[in-house]
Amino acid sequence: MNSDETFKLLHAYVDGELDTARSLEFEAYLAANPAALAASERLRAMSAAIRGSADYFAAPVALGVRLRASVPVVPEQVPLRAAWRGWLRPAVSFAMVALVTWMIAAAWLRPGADDRIAREALSGHVRATLAGRLYDVASSDQHTVKPWLSARLAFSPPVSDFSAQGFELAGGRLDYLDGQPVAVLVYRRRQHVIDVFIRPGDGREAVHTVTLDGFNIERFARNGMNFWMVSDLNRNELGDFATVVAERSAAP
Amino acid sequence: MSDRKQRFEHLVLPHLDAAYNLARWITRNDHDAQDVVQEAVLRAYRFFDGLRGEARPWLLSIVRNSCFTWLQINRPADMAGFDDHAVEMHPSEEDGPEVQAMRKFDRRMLNEAIAALPAHFREVLVLREMEDLSYREIARIADVPIGTVMSRLARARRLLAEAVGAISNAADTSMNK
Repeated sequence: MNSDETFKLLHAYVDGELDTARSLEFEAYLAANPAALAASERLRAMSAAIRGSADYFAAPVALGVRLRASVPVVPEQVPLRAAWRGWLRPAVSFAMVALVTWMIAAAWLRPGADDRIAREALSGHVRATLAGRLYDVASSDQHTVKPWLSARLAFSPPVSDFSAQGFELAGGRLDYLDGQPVAVLVYRRRQHVIDVFIRPGDGREAVHTVTLDGFNIERFARNGMNFWMVSDLNRNELGDFATVVAERSAAP
Repeated sequence: MSDRKQRFEHLVLPHLDAAYNLARWITRNDHDAQDVVQEAVLRAYRFFDGLRGEARPWLLSIVRNSCFTWLQINRPADMAGFDDHAVEMHPSEEDGPEVQAMRKFDRRMLNEAIAALPAHFREVLVLREMEDLSYREIARIADVPIGTVMSRLARARRLLAEAVGAISNAADTSMNK
């Protein structure tokens, strides 16, 4: 054993990071080397000193209170009727007003989150194209693609082939959007690739078309799923495709 | 939605002390530690759906990232002058009087010596000795290889032993005068 290795082993031994065999081996070494044994005892003493005497800062009570307020939890169970008579009715009215205001503001201001997610979807599309890794499962058979995706996700995306309409299913892959795994269906139209990102959503049926870096992105929601379509296909044809997919996905 | 909040309160908030202790040791004052932990916990709540496995190391990794971002902005000097490659891996086994002095430390001395360690060393020492985390968990939290954890920890202990030795030697000298 050279001294570098010994030194590392010494710490690992004291920290209980060696498996039984290596630990026994090291103990045999320590038994034959009083200096190393003394060093290991000093390390243990230091460890015990820190654990026993150094300050441990528990979170101030006020911090916990503040956090529980910022991350609100379910209120205590109050009988609903009493709650309705008491605080619930004004609360609901207020929430309704707030919701309507928010919806108007959201429509008015064009929420930043949509644009950010659209940009993420675009990045995913471009990365897959550049890497030549368009699909994890290559198949034009919806009965192959759908179970493959369902097995790997917490939801089951709607998968259909639209060859009849000129959009041929080519395969599917997994991607990551806005911090969550999503299904991506890959379609082809002539030489164009169309990525359809799907994840469960709030069902807001806001249709939203943007052009980023020359790519067109169609966003819509149907039947509890949010869709983002990304392609270099022209806007009209991509819009047609969005309509076709939305119609098919409307029925469960 | 409220399910998620309940789960968060149940799984993550019990580790608030560990989060605060780490932040307090890295930022070295109460007020900043509170700000950093508050921001980190709210961030944790936003990314709660991404939690796989144990909540404590997961929360600690978010907290330590917030701490180091905070240090970079507010205490850039604390981040400077630190070099993993300068870690000396060949100390003599006879650590000598400075380590022996550990036996004579007192609480204040020990706290000062830990607080004086470079932030990256302080971090691994706190995670190892106060949170009792394994090398593997620390490596994941600090996002460095296990070898780096080992060398930082060894370096931290050595600096600590030297510091405590120096402080107690100085104390001895002044008392002997």
